[in-house]
Amino acid sequence: VMEGRCAVETWAQFGFSGRSYKVKILCGFGTDVLICTGTEEIYVFSKRERKITASIRFTSDASSSPAELKISQECLVVGADEVSSLLLVGSVLLTLCQRDASWLLTLYKTPKQTASTSHEEFGSFHLPVVSAVDCGAAESNRGPRKGSVLICIHSGDVEASSPSNASAESTVAQDHFHLEPLLFKLLFGVEAALAKSPVILCGLPDGRLCFLPLRLPGSRLRVLHSLEQPVCFVGASVVTETGHAQCLVAAGEQGRVVLIKTDKAGSEGGSAMAAFTEGCVPGPVWCGCMDKSCFYYSTGADLLRLDLSEGSFARESKERGEETSGMTAAALQSPSSLNVCRVIALAEPACTGDVQLLGVSARGQLQRICLPAGRVDEGSSKLPSTQVSRSVRDLLSAIGDVCERYASSVLKTVIKSKNQFLRLLNHAVSVSFLLMADTTTDLPIKEKPIRCHFETSWSRLLQKDSLSLVCFLHNSSPFVLERGWTLSITVSPLSYSSSPAGESSSTNFSFPFHDLRPGQTFEASLPIAAAGDASFPMTVSCSLIFSLSSLLGEEEVAASFAGLQSSCISLPLSTLTVDWLHALQLNSPTAAHKMATVQPSSAAADSIQTFLSSRQLRCSGRTNKGGESAAKPESEKYSASVWVSSEIVRDTLKPKKSSNLDAKESIRDPEDLYKIALSTSVAHARGPNGAAMKLTVKEVNHKEATIEVQIESSSLAAVCGLHHAVLRRIQIKARLCFFQISGAFGEVVSTVQRDRLLLSVYQELRRNPLLIV
Amino acid sequence: MYQPPSLLEKWSQENNELVNKCKQQEAGGGAVSRDHRQSSLRWCSSEFHKLLRKIQGIPPHVDHSQLELAVVYNTCVCFTAQSQFSEAELLLKEATERVLQVTGNNADTSDPLVLWRAGLKSAGNTALHPHVLYLLCLQWALWLAKCQLENIGELQEQMSSLCEIVCDGVGDCSPSEAKGRLSKSPLLVMEPKRLTELLQICTSIAQGAEKLNEGRSSEALSDLQAASALPATRALVAYTHLLSGSCLAHMNRPQMALQCYKRALETDSRCVCALYRSMLIYRQLGNTQAEIQALRLLHSTLMLPPATEPVLGGIQPLSPSLLLSSQSLSRLLSVPSALSVLYSLALKCVLSGRVTEGVEHYLDLLAALHSEDQHAVDAEVSVLPRMLELYLEAGTALLFTRRPADCMAFCNEVISTTLELVPEKVVLEEPEEGIGGDARGLSVEGEDKVAMLLWAAAAYLLQGHCHTHLKDWKQAVTHYTRCINLLVKVHLKNRDFQPQIPAADVNVKHGKDLCTLQRMKGLSLAWRGISFTQMDQLREALRDLQLSLQAFPDYTGAGLWCGEVLWRLGRKHEAAACWEKTWSLTTQTSVEKLPLYLQDPQSGPLLDSVELRLRIQELGLT
Repeated sequence: VMEGRCAVETWAQFGFSGRSYKVKILCGFGTDVLICTGTEEIYVFSKRERKITASIRFTSDASSSPAELKISQECLVVGADEVSSLLLVGSVLLTLCQRDASWLLTLYKTPKQTASTSHEEFGSFHLPVVSAVDCGAAESNRGPRKGSVLICIHSGDVEASSPSNASAESTVAQDHFHLEPLLFKLLFGVEAALAKSPVILCGLPDGRLCFLPLRLPGSRLRVLHSLEQPVCFVGASVVTETGHAQCLVAAGEQGRVVLIKTDKAGSEGGSAMAAFTEGCVPGPVWCGCMDKSCFYYSTGADLLRLDLSEGSFARESKERGEETSGMTAAALQSPSSLNVCRVIALAEPACTGDVQLLGVSARGQLQRICLPAGRVDEGSSKLPSTQVSRSVRDLLSAIGDVCERYASSVLKTVIKSKNQFLRLLNHAVSVSFLLMADTTTDLPIKEKPIRCHFETSWSRLLQKDSLSLVCFLHNSSPFVLERGWTLSITVSPLSYSSSPAGESSSTNFSFPFHDLRPGQTFEASLPIAAAGDASFPMTVSCSLIFSLSSLLGEEEVAASFAGLQSSCISLPLSTLTVDWLHALQLNSPTAAHKMATVQPSSAAADSIQTFLSSRQLRCSGRTNKGGESAAKPESEKYSASVWVSSEIVRDTLKPKKSSNLDAKESIRDPEDLYKIALSTSVAHARGPNGAAMKLTVKEVNHKEATIEVQIESSSLAAVCGLHHAVLRRIQIKARLCFFQISGAFGEVVSTVQRDRLLLSVYQELRRNPLLIV
Repeated sequence: MYQPPSLLEKWSQENNELVNKCKQQEAGGGAVSRDHRQSSLRWCSSEFHKLLRKIQGIPPHVDHSQLELAVVYNTCVCFTAQSQFSEAELLLKEATERVLQVTGNNADTSDPLVLWRAGLKSAGNTALHPHVLYLLCLQWALWLAKCQLENIGELQEQMSSLCEIVCDGVGDCSPSEAKGRLSKSPLLVMEPKRLTELLQICTSIAQGAEKLNEGRSSEALSDLQAASALPATRALVAYTHLLSGSCLAHMNRPQMALQCYKRALETDSRCVCALYRSMLIYRQLGNTQAEIQALRLLHSTLMLPPATEPVLGGIQPLSPSLLLSSQSLSRLLSVPSALSVLYSLALKCVLSGRVTEGVEHYLDLLAALHSEDQHAVDAEVSVLPRMLELYLEAGTALLFTRRPADCMAFCNEVISTTLELVPEKVVLEEPEEGIGGDARGLSVEGEDKVAMLLWAAAAYLLQGHCHTHLKDWKQAVTHYTRCINLLVKVHLKNRDFQPQIPAADVNVKHGKDLCTLQRMKGLSLAWRGISFTQMDQLREALRDLQLSLQAFPDYTGAGLWCGEVLWRLGRKHEAAACWEKTWSLTTQTSVEKLPLYLQDPQSGPLLDSVELRLRIQELGLT
């Protein structure tokens, strides 16, 4: 229920009094408001000047103060008696009157072009009068004949289709309503909707609501509903954003109200139906008007507002816990009082903002009634579900259609190749992630999903020995290395001081893959050097390259990605230094297998160098006899030797099966090396430059078990090279420790853990002073 | 004092002035609108009536009687012209009684026939006699206007003598004598001679119509042919010819009837009814070309503005239309509205193969229905089909002229209008008296949901045909499927285990719905099958075609295609059997009675029967 009162402002006082049904307010003439008193006067009130500016009279008696317009006989357009209401629809004037025993709706053509004022009657419709209902009969006997209501309903579509028409009519739009198309069809038939015909709706004093499609050939005046009491108001409300009213309202004199809406849920049939909701509001209804969502009416004692909007309905019924399908009187909200009395005529000037009504009081006052601001919630307009489902169905079938049409044709292959391409790219990205993860997390090499290892072998071809490197790439990742992937192996000498051109000495090999499935191994052998012309040691770095161009096909790349031609992703796999040890050719017939590597120390250059180098200094002073100086005197042979703790050899060699060192340097079998070392064997070999050399490994029982590795050769280069190779192995061992330490720093481990790790490394170093001999 | 003669003179002068004014107004009447004439007539009648009351204010007197009767005559003419028959009759009765008083007779009867006989007798050979006769003329006119022909029959002798006297009497007088008499006698609004002539022919026409209505055609014919020689306006003579034609048509002599109609048209070119009747005869004779021609003429005549109509009764205050208001006559003279003529024309054109022309007419018709000037005035029981059917028929016609896009536009309109209102399920029951209406889910204004569904389905069917025409089989299948989906919402409920297609006499409306439903099912399934065939989906095609044959066994297209599909599936003997069976069907489904949109589409893939027979022969040989 509304709180707050209405502001009532009296604008003017007229010279009439007494209750009359025939007072009417007409708005929509700019700032002027016409007040028809129902007798012989019409007052014109100007809103701007706030006074009555003119009065129109049909009789010519005494003149009153405002300007008076007299209407002469010539203005008479239709001489018809007892016309109870009239309506202008386009160029057609309709009058409704009761003649003898029938209601007569007469159509007149208003002259458009001719100067003649007379209207030509061109049709009329009869509806027999029914004997007035009980209460109506009693009343109609005493009072004058009551008026009827005549309004015009347009289907919502019409307005959209002919805007010019609508604008022309908007000046007298008071009795014209635009109804939602579906409700229009339900009430007045598809024919009227299809012919875009306006429908005349008239409410008669006998309670009947009749309608007539105006432009439909052969249509008749038919009864839509009966209120069973004199109809005093008919209108349409609940206007959506589209401007279509969703609810048709008729009110009877004693307060019976019928709301006609679309029942979308439908009944047993499932289709939409027109739902007639009848109910009673406190009567009597003297006059009424509508705005976009409410029906206002005056009972004489009070002005009441009936909210018709969808939201209020739903709320109401929810509060009462009712089903909406049970459309009874309960579905009608109870009207709220606005506390204005004695209003005998109402109009709603179409104004924006807060609701204002114009009323005429029983005392003859023109009043403006400002309603307290109520809630403003408009029912949101939705497409009817049937329409939605239909359009969805249409869309789906269209989609299916397009899909089918293209699937069979070129697009199919294009999409397929694109899909393929995307899949490859996805693989590429996944593979690169895998490999990048390798470098960052430092997995043990055996667990790396894609790993490669090398073997060197000498082969003799055409009287010429050559060293070839066999690269094994094992794919244990879940991805197939397909077209687009290339294994690239770069071989470059470690020290390029020897060659003047520097980089030019490096060689590149690439092996494109075709489907290297998970679990398969790819084997590539590449010649490194022919005997004699090698510059060992050399670095073999191996990487996987993914190139877009090979994937897309050359021409496509050239066409669309001109800048992409050389673009490829290069993922380093591993790097290997092929040194003299690798390139040794064993002479001993016993050792069918290759030479062992020994662990010399090296001059490393790293950050923990200080620690290592201090040790190395001490060690090298004692162990390394200095290749040249020691060896030279003996039969022109150079020799160098390295001592190393056998325990270390054992220790480091034992876990070699799983160590990553092994994987990288798996050229020699570590067991063999150990065996060789223990059996103090002597190996004769030839270096890659053909120089003969002798490698002696023997156990020197010094303080602890120590192994001495001695290298002898007549070639200085060979001794140096081999010595370097052996030292490098040792260095790698050292670096392993170093990695452990640096790893402890690198990873963010708790300080306790780090300390423990450092301690263990240190202890190990202390325990084995001969780690680096 | 020399009062009475001056009074008489004054009245007489007043009367003459009024008459002159009336005549002036009527002389210029051609141009003035009907309303204006009505108001001037109203003024005249009230003035005459005032004068009459003054005259009748004094007791009847022989000297005054002549003037009085003249004024009564004038007043009554004015009243009658305004269709105020009862007032006129009352005046006539009073006048007769006063005549009887003057002549010293007493009238103690209220029966008008007796009264008139007495009045005429008492007037005898006095100077009053012609004036009494004039009043009798008016009585005659009133009876005619009120269609009380039996009263006229009763006074037949008096009437014929009256005719002789009035027509000949004036004619016999020498000009000078006539002038002398006229100068003395008061002026009259309408010449009695003209009135009598008018009454004579109108009576003949009305009686002829009545007899024709009662089935006494030959009798009516002789009367009418006699009447055609009477002096009258062209329009009335044309009516006599027209009615003669109708009599002849009734007597099963169409060619002679056509002659009569032709004469009627020659007499009055605006006699649209004659055109209409000839059209009906051509239709009856099965002369389609002539029928179309007549329809076209009829339509263009109906579209002419009714400009010259006032000529018919412009000069005279009493118009023939006032006197010829009998129901049987108006039924004979009724012509359908221009729109329904246009519709018949369009439909006839399409059915007789003049499709392009038909389409034009359909489009004209729809344009007319949508125009602002169209109003619901012609309240005759509309011969036009429902608007949606018009749309569908126009769409079909468009498809026949190979304009599938336009056809689809029409169908879309129909679908968008109806689809919202189509129920999820509808039960089509065998009708039972009384209850039928409610059970079938009539909505508020009596719009039939079944019809709504059938229209929507028909629109989909047509769209399917459009796509078939465009060889867009996929879309065709989609639309046929939509049609079928709608059709299966109708649940048939057989009360008395009647056959699927009921006999024609069960219930026209329901039978029609059911028949439409079955035929539409058959068509949509068959054409979906055919579309499937074109897409090489033979299994689906076979299923649909067989279902189609189940729903509508008489459809030869489905039978032939069913055979074709079987053949393609390698079931050649079955195919041959299917074809033979289809050919053996004697299809006499009256195509004319079906709605246009349920006819077999004229486009789409065709099967050549000759070729099929060849195939069967080859099959027999191998």
